[in-house]
Amino acid sequence: MQPFTPVLLEAVGVADGQTIASYKSRGGYAPLERLLAEKQPIDIVEMVKASGLRGRGGAGFSTGLKWTFLPKDHPGPIYLCINADESEPGTFNNRILMEDDPHQVIEGIILSAFATRASTAYIYLRYEYPQSWNRLQTAIDEAYAAGYLGKNIRGSGFSLDIYLHRGAAAYICGEETGLIESLEGKRAWPRIKPPFPAIEGLFRKPTVVNNIETMACVAQIARRGVDWFRSIGVPADPNNPRDPGSYGPKLYCLSGHVERPGCYETPLGITARQLINEYGGGVWKGRRAKAVIPGGISMGLMTEAELDTPLDFAGPGKVGCLGLGTAAVVVIDETVSIVDFLHNSCRFFAHESCGQCTPCREGTSWSLRMLERIKAGKGRLRDLDLLAEIGNTMGMMPGSTICGLADGAAWPIKNAIKKFRGEFEDYIKRTNPQGWMVTDPVPALQIVGSH
Amino acid sequence: MIAQPKILTPEMVAKIEALAPRYPNRRALTLPALHIVNAELRHVPLQAVVEIAAVLGLAPAEVQDTLTFYQFFHQERPHGKVRAFVCRSISCALRGGDHLLEHLCHKHGIDPYGTTPDGELTIEPAECLGACDFAPCILANDDLLKNMTPETAEAELKKPRARAT
Amino acid sequence: MATVIVDGKEIEIGADERLNCIEAARLAGAEIPHYCWHPGLSVVASCRMCLVETGTRDAATGKISMMPKLVPACQTPAKDGTVIVTESQLVKESRARVEEALLIDHPIDCPICDKAGECLLQDYHFQHGQAERRADLHPFTSRRRDVGPTVTLFVDRCIMCTRCVRFTREVSGTSELMVTSRGAKEEIDIFPGHPLDNKLSGNVVDLCPVGALGDKDFLYQQRVWFMKREANVCGGCSAGCSIHTEHNQDTVYRLKPRENPHVNKWWICDDGRYGWHHIHDASRIVGAGRRASSSTPLESVEWADVITRLRADLKAAGRLAVAVSPMLTVEEAWMLCAVARSIDPQALLAVGHVPQAGEDETFPGGFTIRAEKCPNRLGVEGVIALFDPAVRSWNDLVSHVRAGHADAAWITGAYPAAWIDDDTAAAFADLKCLVVQDLFDSPLTALATWKLPAAGFAERAGTWVNVAHRAQSFEQAVRPPAGIWPEGRLYWNMLGRRGLYDPTAVRRQIADSSASFAALAGEIPATGVDLRIHQLASTTS
Repeated sequence: MQPFTPVLLEAVGVADGQTIASYKSRGGYAPLERLLAEKQPIDIVEMVKASGLRGRGGAGFSTGLKWTFLPKDHPGPIYLCINADESEPGTFNNRILMEDDPHQVIEGIILSAFATRASTAYIYLRYEYPQSWNRLQTAIDEAYAAGYLGKNIRGSGFSLDIYLHRGAAAYICGEETGLIESLEGKRAWPRIKPPFPAIEGLFRKPTVVNNIETMACVAQIARRGVDWFRSIGVPADPNNPRDPGSYGPKLYCLSGHVERPGCYETPLGITARQLINEYGGGVWKGRRAKAVIPGGISMGLMTEAELDTPLDFAGPGKVGCLGLGTAAVVVIDETVSIVDFLHNSCRFFAHESCGQCTPCREGTSWSLRMLERIKAGKGRLRDLDLLAEIGNTMGMMPGSTICGLADGAAWPIKNAIKKFRGEFEDYIKRTNPQGWMVTDPVPALQIVGSH
Repeated sequence: MIAQPKILTPEMVAKIEALAPRYPNRRALTLPALHIVNAELRHVPLQAVVEIAAVLGLAPAEVQDTLTFYQFFHQERPHGKVRAFVCRSISCALRGGDHLLEHLCHKHGIDPYGTTPDGELTIEPAECLGACDFAPCILANDDLLKNMTPETAEAELKKPRARAT
Repeated sequence: MATVIVDGKEIEIGADERLNCIEAARLAGAEIPHYCWHPGLSVVASCRMCLVETGTRDAATGKISMMPKLVPACQTPAKDGTVIVTESQLVKESRARVEEALLIDHPIDCPICDKAGECLLQDYHFQHGQAERRADLHPFTSRRRDVGPTVTLFVDRCIMCTRCVRFTREVSGTSELMVTSRGAKEEIDIFPGHPLDNKLSGNVVDLCPVGALGDKDFLYQQRVWFMKREANVCGGCSAGCSIHTEHNQDTVYRLKPRENPHVNKWWICDDGRYGWHHIHDASRIVGAGRRASSSTPLESVEWADVITRLRADLKAAGRLAVAVSPMLTVEEAWMLCAVARSIDPQALLAVGHVPQAGEDETFPGGFTIRAEKCPNRLGVEGVIALFDPAVRSWNDLVSHVRAGHADAAWITGAYPAAWIDDDTAAAFADLKCLVVQDLFDSPLTALATWKLPAAGFAERAGTWVNVAHRAQSFEQAVRPPAGIWPEGRLYWNMLGRRGLYDPTAVRRQIADSSASFAALAGEIPATGVDLRIHQLASTTS
């Protein structure tokens, strides 16, 4: 397979690639100058819509379409929030973009703010990325100095301020209304929808929340064109008018049990097997993969037999995963116990559940405690049925919760039990010979410091 | 009643106020204010919460509500001069993250989230640090420690480090 | 009008009524269970108990299309064509799961929990929950945490509905309560040194659907299933909040707000809520006493004799001045005036002392505590006006007596606390006959010729008129201690009426004979009636 020449990652490995001088030498900011001088906001919206760009943060919603949800002729202010909270386990592409090419992100933000008539952009940056913090702040300062930020940018009449706002290590701040609540200074409990952020978002004003990689894509679409973007990836299925396609290059994060973990840029649609073998050097230590996470732990698991699934927006769903998510591919080799995997997942979600709504707060806690008990050799087969039920009923999709964290918590449970039930049953029977068959409730395990 | 000396220095208050024009209301300064205080003091004691609330025009309970949500700010005593977050999410766990945490805690004689008696080092589990390409990893103040083993981690955590920003 | 279809049944709601699906379903007789929603607080839709199936019926075709997933009824507006399904299998399963989730970590406290018998978690468990426990067993009892002078918190019983936190932020505006931590470890707490201490604090106990928040005043005092309750009105100030008096065997145990959209909505203040103890105070005046002369002690008089001897004493004395206490009902006030004028046709009728404390205080949610600490000044003024257009004040009466224009005075009180000082009382020292009818001894009762007991607010039946001219009628909740004839009973008998005191009959008589009280003629709704509405109508007709 022909390796894709990096576009989003073009600055990686370039000395001083994060500086404005380097960015401009690669063609950066010229598109911004041209578009500000020649085009109207609606033109940028149309450009991004036409490109078929779908949000890279996990939901895969059409970016241009999302921008059109803003009310027309609103007196403002309109806010643009950039979701740099990147906390989905296995994901690190935003980190690389912010550290190695912050100006690409910034140009995308300025173009997006122009398109949406936002007057202020807040970059909500997770606490754990101090290098990104420094690089972004330096780049923002450079952009102000160069006249690309501030009042009346390049005489266009458009003004924009970009502010960095730092998180404090809570995963739910990556949910768009959790982010908004956190920015407003409250606990990050996601809001009920409607109203949607485009109507009533940050400080109750119209707001768009976009991901870092999405912003980088906007900058590249502005530079290289809609046709270029659409020439990459998986076109929409002509027989399905509702399929928006999977266009453009994608940053895939590959980690876990591979020889070469890393962030790789390829057209959307590469299969997991191709990514692992052709970019990642194959499963490590000569082993076989037992399971692969397709797009961050929330998306669930693919089996080894499912690794030829294309990793585009539609692919993982066809094998029962939640979706493409953040395209963070994590490889789990054959020596790993599926019980340990699921315990790690349940521990994560129980720790990160915001606690606002009953099914997620109690469901994530209950599933962790069952996994703890199973791991400790006191599991029952009945626990698998209970876990499967939690997996099937907890979430925004069935309507039982306010936000999608619950769906993310449920999917690994759902997939693991469905696709690896035999291994669970073996483990339970082997470790709890006296009690695996008990169906009545059993005494709780005394856990000390499980979080 | 003996007046409490103020915990927030004029410099800290000035830093908070400098951010005020960025937001349309005072409440949005809450998290930035917590970070400003935490960066100086390595914790946010209850008295600081009262003072932050007064600066922002909020009730102390409102600030404390936000603070405790993040499970991030120490309150009773400062965390160590080096605050080591050891990642335990899936990619690091697959490459020994849990074992790394256990080893380091055992080595320093503290529980997870604990601080060594000399006040030098705090070891905490963290969820995905976003450095899965270098798993298992540790975030020590502002430094990302990559591809750690129990031995290399021990050596790294002995080094003094600049305070976290 | 808009048509909403609830479980197949059509109901009409007003075209501009803004109802959610819980409210709309209720109109159709379907009670959708819920914890976190409350009409007086913001909508959070976090408990997930109210999930129902909804859809829309096409106005033109009549075709019904249902949403593919459950939605919270509390956040879904009921509009024309809204279809609500409250009892499908999907809905029932969802409720059972929410109940199960809440019970996983709930302490086994029912036998020692005050809320038993009025607990939504219990009720919904029986109505909507499942019979067997599936989660691991770890029986435990709740920790208890002091959160303030009036309220105690049983931390582990909390189901995180956040009603209490929202109340302190949105209604009282005091923000003392907070949620701490995250996920399943969340707890309600106060900031150390900043307790829940505002004048509306007790309302959070009403709001708590379970036994997490408790009234310190009521804790462990009485099981709720032993109590009866009457619809009453608080006598603490001129706001006239609607309440329920809850009692057993003539003992009041607690007061709860009664919903009244025109007056107090869903709330009462702490002074009103906890201000009932005085009626069980052992030092209350009991029995009628008469002093033959200023130097002789009081002798008790049988009530049957009071009727005649009191009249005789007052008649013999001469010029009468009467203070009609703003604690009395409209009916009692009217009868007292009638009795007084039947003894002395020129009797001076004045409004009794009107206690004032502080300023009117309005809270961010709109609730107002009044500085005027009596429930019926407007009602009493209105009654006196029927007898004498010059409605005199307490100060007028005191001056009148000081100036020597009266030979006898009948001072009614029924105030819960001390209200008269030695100086003012001394004005009445030289009267030939002083009648004092009050709850407690005072410098005035020390001078009284006749010392008569008064009724406590819960022992009264009748009508009060609040600061906004809203008249509310209420029933008697408890009987007064033995040896007490409430004012109503005494006046009824002194007017020569037969049988038991019937406040309704008196009210109707007043309504029929006056324009200002005409609105009281028929059935009075539970939320009262605005006396001025009738007057406005009559001026325009």
